[in-house]
Amino acid sequence: MSDTTILSIENLHVKVADEGLAILKGVDLTLPGGEVHAVMGPNGSGKSTLAKVLTGHPGYEVVAGTVVFDGRDLLELEPNERACAGIFLAFQYPVEIPGVSIANFLRTAMQSRLVEGEELDLFDFQDLLLDRMNLLDMDVSFAERPVNDGFSGGEKKRNEILQMAVLKPRLALMDETDSGLDIDALKVVAHGVNTLRCEDPTMSVLLITHYQRMLDYIRPDVVHVMVDGRIVRSGGPDVAVRLEEEGYAMLREADARTVVQM
Amino acid sequence: MVEVVADRVAPEQKKSGALDRGVVERLAGDDPEWLATRRMQALRIYEATPMPSTQLEEWRYTDLSRKLCLDKLHSPVAEALPDDPQAWPERLRSTMAEDHDAVGHLVLVDGSVVHTNIGAHLSSRGVVLTSLRRAATEHPTLLEKYLATQAIPPEDGKLQALNAMLWTDGVLLYVPPGVRLEHPVRVTRWYSETGAAFFSRTLIVADSASKLAYVDEALSDDFDQETLTSQAVEVFASDGAHVQYVSAQRIGRGAFCHAAQRILLGRDATLDMLNVSLGASTTRVDLNARLLGSGADSNLLGLYFGDGDQHFDHNTSQDHIAPAARSDLLYKGALDDSSRAVFRGVIRVAEGAQQTDAYQTNRNLILSDNARADALPKLEIHADDVKCSHGATVGQLDEESLFYLMSRGLTRAQAERLVVVGFLGMVLQRLPLGGVVEKVTRVIEEKLRLGAHA
Repeated sequence: MSDTTILSIENLHVKVADEGLAILKGVDLTLPGGEVHAVMGPNGSGKSTLAKVLTGHPGYEVVAGTVVFDGRDLLELEPNERACAGIFLAFQYPVEIPGVSIANFLRTAMQSRLVEGEELDLFDFQDLLLDRMNLLDMDVSFAERPVNDGFSGGEKKRNEILQMAVLKPRLALMDETDSGLDIDALKVVAHGVNTLRCEDPTMSVLLITHYQRMLDYIRPDVVHVMVDGRIVRSGGPDVAVRLEEEGYAMLREADARTVVQM
Repeated sequence: MVEVVADRVAPEQKKSGALDRGVVERLAGDDPEWLATRRMQALRIYEATPMPSTQLEEWRYTDLSRKLCLDKLHSPVAEALPDDPQAWPERLRSTMAEDHDAVGHLVLVDGSVVHTNIGAHLSSRGVVLTSLRRAATEHPTLLEKYLATQAIPPEDGKLQALNAMLWTDGVLLYVPPGVRLEHPVRVTRWYSETGAAFFSRTLIVADSASKLAYVDEALSDDFDQETLTSQAVEVFASDGAHVQYVSAQRIGRGAFCHAAQRILLGRDATLDMLNVSLGASTTRVDLNARLLGSGADSNLLGLYFGDGDQHFDHNTSQDHIAPAARSDLLYKGALDDSSRAVFRGVIRVAEGAQQTDAYQTNRNLILSDNARADALPKLEIHADDVKCSHGATVGQLDEESLFYLMSRGLTRAQAERLVVVGFLGMVLQRLPLGGVVEKVTRVIEEKLRLGAHA
């Protein structure tokens, strides 16, 4: 593990809380600071579970393994502590919060990052919010809309990236942000993420996706392939290209061979 | 100093009279004859009416024999405060200081009007804002016609009769035909005398094609003995009139608050109404909107937030008498600790009230294992060409919502507060009259901070 490693997952086993169902069956993944890693894999392979577990979702139970984020035992932290430490999840299915405006929500989230007694400067916040909405090609009226309430699929995804751009995480987890986006919206979202990476070259991205097309706009350093709760292959961007061409069947065969060899 | 102490003892003798015939006769003694007759008539009806028991469907969840002990209450004895803000309690003054634009103010302290003012440009056009006690002699024609007659007569029930025989003061607001008030009239009530029973009435008459907004705030500190505030609110929205009515009840613990409210809407009249119940130990609201003219439109909003052992009982009815009228009711509440809420709402569509649009929704958010809400929506429809719906929900905070907010850095308590304030705030946003949204939001946040959501 190099000094710049931001996230180190070792032998992570996870099951659904209150049930026996195992989903992650020994995930190993190392993410150096400033890199973009993609996780690809078929439906049900555990990609989204990995993102939720890293964020601290109460619906999952870690059975074994360790996760070290920025030198800290991540699994010991509450979801809000993880967020304040710099983890951000762009949800696959963002939740609607009726009656709470985006501006109010983000203001509270920013305030929660300050030490006790310190007050957020509302003018600075307003400037930041306007700047970020501008970056993502959003109308200013968007900030006063209730969080995700009545949003189209694309608006919800864009709202996730707006939150990411305001909160400036050290590690951004993006869970199928590309699904439900048309090509124009995808370009806007990718531009937003790439701009954040330019602003902070140490920011890392773990990008979960089914499709190569997202990776045309946000270039990964490493592509991991997850099958049945494990990373079965890791490699350069060409892995994604080959997957797109040949499908997962070939990998399952490769995986089976690995198991046989053991 | 000794003499002062002796003076303080004196009222005890008056207290012993409690709420008996003697008090009614004493009040009638100061009334003009027509009013005295009505008061004594109300007394006869009161005596002939049994106290509602939990055997009655409408009182099933609120046991008056346990929650309201009339024998222990006394008529208020404190001297009325002077018409001088410096002499008023600090909380009353600070609440008024937050009031935004208003065309008139009226202040009641312990049931008596101590201050009234209305813009000269309005009084010259015939707008009346005054103490109901004074109006009995100054506007007898108006009162004889409208007071406790067509809207809330003593025959309505035991508590309505009690109010009609014991009311001491209240508010009269009259807006003449075609006159439109540009800002709300603000009424602020302060209660301080513990163990007393306060009876007041509000009479609002919006004449044809007039427009008015009325905001009524009631507050007090906590009471160490059971205290009663009883209000009868009668609103007449004549043809084409537009009435906005907001009531915010923030009375202290130890109080039993009863409000009987009836609004009569004429042809093409519009009503926007919001009842906010945050205070008191027991709150009972009997609301009835009667759509008497076609084209009438009423929006009935309600909000309550309980903590500790607070009990709220909202009993609403939407009466569609005329055809082609619309009514839409939305009551939302959150309940923490061991508080309870009952919502009982009925839409009644009379024979011949075709093309009625009537809706009723009650939503409850339960924040603690010991809190409880019961919703009893009901439809009674006697016409065949109508659009009616009702719905009620009782739910808990959604864990996925809380996780979403926490994943952005909010603590669980912050996330809970945001969700609850958002849930209730949507009701406030539908009738955002001067300053009430901010005040009510603050009280809700305060309650959440005091609870387990700190």
